[in-house]
Amino acid sequence: MMGRIAWKLLPAAPALAILFAWWVYWTIVQPPPSVIPSILDVVRTGAELAFGGRLAGDIVASMGRLLGGVAFGMVTGMIAGFIAGLWRPVADFFNPLVVFFNAISGIVWLPLVIGWLGVGNALATFLIWNTVFFIVFQNTVLGIQLVPEVLEQGVRSLGGGRWETIRSVTLPGALPYILSGVRSGLGFGWRALIAAELVGATTGLGQLIFSGSEYHRADIIIFGALLIGAIAMLMDRWLLAPIERRTVVRWGLVAASRGR
Amino acid sequence: MRNGCDAMTRHLRDLRVLLPFAVLIAIWWGLKDGFGISDKLLVAPPLVWSAFGTLITRGILAEYASTSLSMIGIATLISFVVGVPLGFAVGTNRYAARALEGFLRYLQGISGIAWLPLAILWFGFTHTTTLAIVIYTLIVPIIFNTMTGVRAIPENYVLALRSLGASRLRIVTDVYFPGALPSIVVGTRLGMGYGWRALIASEMLVRQGGLGDLIFGARTFSQIDRIMVGMIAIGTLYIVVDRLLVQPVESMTLARWGVLRK
Amino acid sequence: MSADKIVVSGFRHFFQSDSGRVQATGEIDVTIREGEVVTLVGPSGCGKTTLLKAIAGFITPSEGQILCDGKPVRGPGRERGVVFQELAILPWRTVRKNIAHGLEIARVPKAERDRTVERLIGLMSLNGFEDRYPHELSGGMRQRVAVARTWAADPDVILMDEPFAAVDAMTRLTLQEELGRLCATTHKTVFFITHSVEEAVFLGDRVLVMTKRPGTIKATLDVPRHGKGGRDWDSFTGDPEMRAISEQVMHLVHAERV
Repeated sequence: MMGRIAWKLLPAAPALAILFAWWVYWTIVQPPPSVIPSILDVVRTGAELAFGGRLAGDIVASMGRLLGGVAFGMVTGMIAGFIAGLWRPVADFFNPLVVFFNAISGIVWLPLVIGWLGVGNALATFLIWNTVFFIVFQNTVLGIQLVPEVLEQGVRSLGGGRWETIRSVTLPGALPYILSGVRSGLGFGWRALIAAELVGATTGLGQLIFSGSEYHRADIIIFGALLIGAIAMLMDRWLLAPIERRTVVRWGLVAASRGR
Repeated sequence: MRNGCDAMTRHLRDLRVLLPFAVLIAIWWGLKDGFGISDKLLVAPPLVWSAFGTLITRGILAEYASTSLSMIGIATLISFVVGVPLGFAVGTNRYAARALEGFLRYLQGISGIAWLPLAILWFGFTHTTTLAIVIYTLIVPIIFNTMTGVRAIPENYVLALRSLGASRLRIVTDVYFPGALPSIVVGTRLGMGYGWRALIASEMLVRQGGLGDLIFGARTFSQIDRIMVGMIAIGTLYIVVDRLLVQPVESMTLARWGVLRK
Repeated sequence: MSADKIVVSGFRHFFQSDSGRVQATGEIDVTIREGEVVTLVGPSGCGKTTLLKAIAGFITPSEGQILCDGKPVRGPGRERGVVFQELAILPWRTVRKNIAHGLEIARVPKAERDRTVERLIGLMSLNGFEDRYPHELSGGMRQRVAVARTWAADPDVILMDEPFAAVDAMTRLTLQEELGRLCATTHKTVFFITHSVEEAVFLGDRVLVMTKRPGTIKATLDVPRHGKGGRDWDSFTGDPEMRAISEQVMHLVHAERV
């Protein structure tokens, strides 16, 4: 009985250990709060930000950019991925470009595109789109190429034409890969967004933590970083896991709760 | 004769790789001239080419690139040396695995860049800051993949060796290490991909050299040609390191020990 | 005498591989009459699957031609249903939806579709599994769904490529009997390939034996069917005539060991 409870609580252990070490360090060394704040400072700052209204605005700004960029990247990535996946010559022709632009996707574009779009939502959305597009594209192509040929042959022998084969075989067959592309796309998009907001925006969580470093407020940075991780985790759990449970897990194509 | 033919087709294949780039450059040039786009937004290909020449001959590109490359090299080395043993420790102990899996996942959600402001407060605008960010980014996937690699090894392998009277050390060297190696290599490759991006982003803000500094500094003076040379260098170096150095190791270990599931 | 349903004449096939052209089959001539169950037995790699895929229309013969109802085969069509060796039913459709798929494609009205599906679920003993997904079923159950899906689409000819090869031996006996009953009650034209001599004799009205690669048809044996169907293992194993035919086929196949 004791063992079961301990086993259940085990995942909380690292966080508790860090909090404890932090508290011990802080009480013994008493570092300046601009370098290492006390736990209490971080909690208090978090509450102030939350109730002061600034935080909600930053979260909304970041989430809006994220959703816009991810949705755009997903749709374009899937469409391009389907075209390349269904027509081999198209995929072969574009492959070198995909390899190259994938290597510089995301934040690398910032210095160039900041001149085109200026600081703000458009820039952040572009950088997220650019990150998500390649991940979703490559996963879609891979997913389509890995659908077993025998499934297509089966439907064709039932009299299904090309469109029927795409609809009933290719699309659901590629779905596990597309979803895992969307899943990691969302994760990468989130990273790209924070990076983009550090210099390419005036609001958002990235700006929040960046302003923390300008005003020497380590408490703001730590609170912001922890919040960024929490949001990433919740998005994965509440947005994507349910979609997977209802489709690919139900069809027995992938096991539940699989990692990246 | 046959050899000549083979060489011909190989050259043709090389050209096929370049063809889409030629098309792209043509479109870029056409857009630039056709719409009369300002040099402050986009420059024509020849200008990029001459900027490339300047940066090469003055040794600027080599200097910035070597800073970036040595940073990613050092960070990979440290992350590997620290991360792999940690991954083993966590992977062979089910309590440690249970305790750390969720925590590591959570850390993956906080990108290295999110810690950059804190690192700047702690270490200032120095290479240490960049190194800390890149190691943080690199080490999590290495620990994570080592851990999953170790845990994916069928227990029977261990039991079989134990029944032959193998020592604990022997089991590590003969089962755990070769069994987890493909996964470790995959984790390192992934980590290097994430790390390279984090490095560029960090260099943009820390401004102590490196290709990120090069392109972000060029922004200040609207030197679009330099930005584009830098971007091309970043992409090319990444592809070269990934395809010529890391991927061969990955394919070798995967081919040798077989794929541990998907 | 029934009409010729499938006529394969002068068929030969080659594959293109890295090391050049590989001959997959020798010259093959086969005629399958309407309502007949023809089984083809041959060593692995002899080209029997190639022949079946050509009749199905998935591959174009390198030489010769294949006629179905006197018309040349060009690509797959719903008049030629296929049951594959591997699992070819769709993992994302329930049992019911899988069986109904061919009817959906043919735009059969829902009421009629449901009736057909219901009948096949009964015939293939799938009752109670209608709303399960394939991964929730055993291997034998899945192959039942695959057979039912093909029968539901009501093709003229059914091509079966070692459909029971991946099923355990006990289940295989049941499936073979069920297929035998299905053939007897629906009077379909069936072309069934296998590497099991017993299966070939048990199911076939006619058994074709192939040589090793590049395969040609080596012999044709008629299997007399007494009474209706007559395909159950109890009477089969006790029948000296069947045993004699099996032995004969066994000798022919034995000579082709690779």
